[in-house]
This record gives sequence, structure tokens and C-alpha cells, in this order.
Amino acid sequence: MILKIVNEWLRQSNKLERLWLLAKIEFKLRYYENKLGLLWALIKPLMDILIYYVVFQIILKQNVPAFASYLFIGLILWNFFVESTTGTIQILSVKKYLYEYSNMNKLEIYISTLISNSIGFFFNFIMFLVFYNFLEKESTGLSVQNIWIVVMFVNLFILSLGMSLILSSLYIVAKDISQVWVVFTSFLFFLSPIFYKLSTFKQALPSFDYGNPIAGIIINTRRVMMEQSPPDFRLLGFDYGYAIVLMIIGLIFLNKLGSRAAEKL
Amino acid sequence: MIMKNEIAIIAKDISKTFHISEDSHNTVKHRLFNLFNPRRRKDVAALRLTSLEIKRGECIGLIGRNGCGKTTLTKVLAGVYPTDTGQVKINGSTMLMNLGVGMSHELTARENIYVSGSVLGLKIKEVDQLFDKIIDFAEVRDFVDTKIKFFSSGMMARLAFSIAVNAGADIMFLDEIFSVGDMKFQEKAIKVFESSWIEGKTVVLVSHGMDVVSKYCNRAAFMKDGRVEFFGETEKAIQLYTQDNQ
Repeated sequence: MILKIVNEWLRQSNKLERLWLLAKIEFKLRYYENKLGLLWALIKPLMDILIYYVVFQIILKQNVPAFASYLFIGLILWNFFVESTTGTIQILSVKKYLYEYSNMNKLEIYISTLISNSIGFFFNFIMFLVFYNFLEKESTGLSVQNIWIVVMFVNLFILSLGMSLILSSLYIVAKDISQVWVVFTSFLFFLSPIFYKLSTFKQALPSFDYGNPIAGIIINTRRVMMEQSPPDFRLLGFDYGYAIVLMIIGLIFLNKLGSRAAEKL
Repeated sequence: MIMKNEIAIIAKDISKTFHISEDSHNTVKHRLFNLFNPRRRKDVAALRLTSLEIKRGECIGLIGRNGCGKTTLTKVLAGVYPTDTGQVKINGSTMLMNLGVGMSHELTARENIYVSGSVLGLKIKEVDQLFDKIIDFAEVRDFVDTKIKFFSSGMMARLAFSIAVNAGADIMFLDEIFSVGDMKFQEKAIKVFESSWIEGKTVVLVSHGMDVVSKYCNRAAFMKDGRVEFFGETEKAIQLYTQDNQ
């Protein structure tokens, strides 16, 4: 089914153009409307890193090597996930103008919003590369393994899209899903190895790196970006499994609940 | 944009019932607390079992008194609402037009033109070519890069109208659109419509203005109580509608 959709898109090149157009406009709306503009997108991860650095490295003395970079890559992955899920719960209500008067495919609205978030992620990722290679004292430099980041990001993209589809479809029938999800994400945030030392995390929560779909993505990304080693393929397989299952559930939800968005919202 | 397929829309046994909940809150908490209370809700059968077929290039009139289901029928045929029973097959992009059309108030006129144009199936290059025409027709040249939330309602309606007539979807649903703008604009609008109909777009026209319907429509449907009572000759449909009003 997914193949069929992709195929249809490629045939009518207008759809790719449209996705890119919507993504660009979304990006502009998010960052150019405010006084700080794009600068904020760059400052925010740095501020977050500063906070966690002070808490976990200076006060709690975790002794993780290259901790600032460790935090940096973890946080930008996490932020992408949160922006793409929490940030899109009301998407069908906000973007109603797109589907209310035409038979546009709703999936395109989601994909374009996630592409817009990907642009933000891309900028943050460039910042990470600069930081890691020029400012980080304990950096191991670039490596061929870095290419795996593409595989990790696609994984994260599918996972976020799937969750986004599920949440925003549920929003149609239960508006307070947004509050529930905020609590759930803060739970998930503390159960992901974003600022913990990996060994502490694994010891305290054995095999939870397999139970938490976002944990594996963070662990593997650090492996390929900071440890010059290939990803843990078993973990990678699990995480793709999660992402694809959630994506399929998401598509079912969109068909069942999301199709009624025009009359319910 | 013209496809070989002669049929624009086939609707078979479609119907639509709205379940209107009288409980105002739609939240998980509310659900949980009222688990054992039956939900109070009303069913409104907006559209009863209907089948119809619209050919490419046809102009169909849709008439009936207020609340007879015209708008629901257009929304189902446009693919905006899912149908409860049966199925609708739509060949091509659709656009529903009434007083507000798919534009975001947060975007500028320029952005809205590109977004709407793209949603209607045009490529960016095609929108580039149409851009000036759309702006001039809408008479909003001085406000191209102004967010439309700052537009007057007349400007907004003219812009929407201009996008619709110039970009145009394969199948257009026009819900009482001849009331947009001042006299001069209406004249211009009608002129453009006449010419774009000749180009062979499929149009479904919802109107209470019988002169408009009888002038432009090849066929017309008369609706009553959610049912299409008659679908065929325009004159006959108008006659039924006039009788119904008495």
C-alpha cells in the first residue's frame, strides 16, 4: 500500500513540489514570524545542553566522555520526535483549510510538516557536526560510519510520522489526548538515555533499550556519530519494526478517524 | 488535465447521517466519568440513499430549499466528507467554493495563491504564469505580501474567487458564489465563468438564483429532505423547486 502511494506521488510530480512548498511555508511560519527567528532554533539546543551539562556533569559528576556532544546529538533527535508528535496533535484542526474544500490527501499534510521539522533538524545537525569536530576536545573526528545517520533519521522520521498520525486522529474523538501525551513524553524522556550514562541506563533498566523505540535510535546514532562503530543491528531491526508497526496503525487510524476530520473538527 | 475518462463523478448508493452529540465535552475524562451513562445524541439524516453520475464538462445545477442536504451532497461528492454507505468515485481534483475557500489566514496572498494552486493540482511553474492574472483579477495588487487576516472580507472573497476561476480544479463545486464582490466584480466573474465553462470544466452549481441555474446548467437536481427527488432536465427541476416553495 505504501509502495502504491509513493508510486502515485512520483508519477504526478506536482505532489513532490507541493510537499516541498508546504514544508517551506511551514518552516517560514515557525521561524521567521518571531523576533529571534531562526536564531532561536539554533540557541535552544545549546541552552538545553547547558542545563543538562551543569546538572549531570558538574553536579552529579557522571563522567561521560565528550558529554556535551553526547547530550547534543541525543537532544536534537529527541526534539525532532517531540516537535513531530506533540507539535502535530492538532494538525488536522490547524491545517483544516487544506482539506476542507478539496479532496487533497491528508497524508501529504503530515509529511510536509515533518519535512519542515527535518529542515530544522538538518540545521541542528550541522551545528552538531561543527561542535563535535571543532570544539569538542574528546572528539574522535569524522568517520565512514557517520553515513549511517541517514538510516537512523529515516527510522526516526517513520516513527514520528506514525505516532503523529495516531495522536492527531485520536484528537478528533478525544481532545485531551494532548495532555495525556505531554505526560507520556516526559515519562519517555526520562526513560531514554538522553543525559544518562549508557551503562547506568542499561543496568537500571535491563533490555529497556529494546522496549523504548526512541532509546535505540539515540544509542545507535551515538555509536555511528561518536564511537566510529557500526550500529547495533539487532537494535536497529527492532526500532525499524516499531516504526513500521506504528506507521501502519497510524495509517489505519487516519483512514478510520482522520477521514471524518472535516465534519468533526 | 483532460482525461480520457468521460465520467467525472460516480456516486452509488451514498448516504450521510450526522451523529450530533449533545454532550459538549469530547474528552477522555468526560468519557470515563460517563462510562455508564448512555450518550445523548441525535441522528440527522442529511443525505438519504442517492446515486448519481456526472459527466466530464457538464454543468449541474443543485437546487432545493434550505436544509435539504445540498451542501452535504456537495461535500460528499467532493470527497471532503466520507460517505456512510456506498461509494463515490472522483476522477480528478475537486474544489469546493463557498464564501470562505481553502485559504490560511496566517499566510500572505502570495503564499495562499501558491498553496491553493498546488492543492488544485497545478505545478509551481503553472502558478508562476497565472500569478499576475490572479492578483489583478482579485484587485489586490497592493497587498500581495500582506497576510490575508488583514484583508477585508470582500478582498478575501475576491482572492478566493480569483484563485478558483483562474487555477480551477477539474471538478468545481460552487456554492452560492455569485454573491461575491460589488456589481462590477460580479459582472467580471460571470464573464470569466462563461469562458471557463466553455473550456470544459465540470461544475456543480448550488444556487437559489433560478435564472443562473437555467442559464448555465445542462442538467439539474432537485433535492428535498436529503433526497435527490429529480435529476434531469433543468426546467423540470426548477419547476419542482418552485412548486415546493409554494
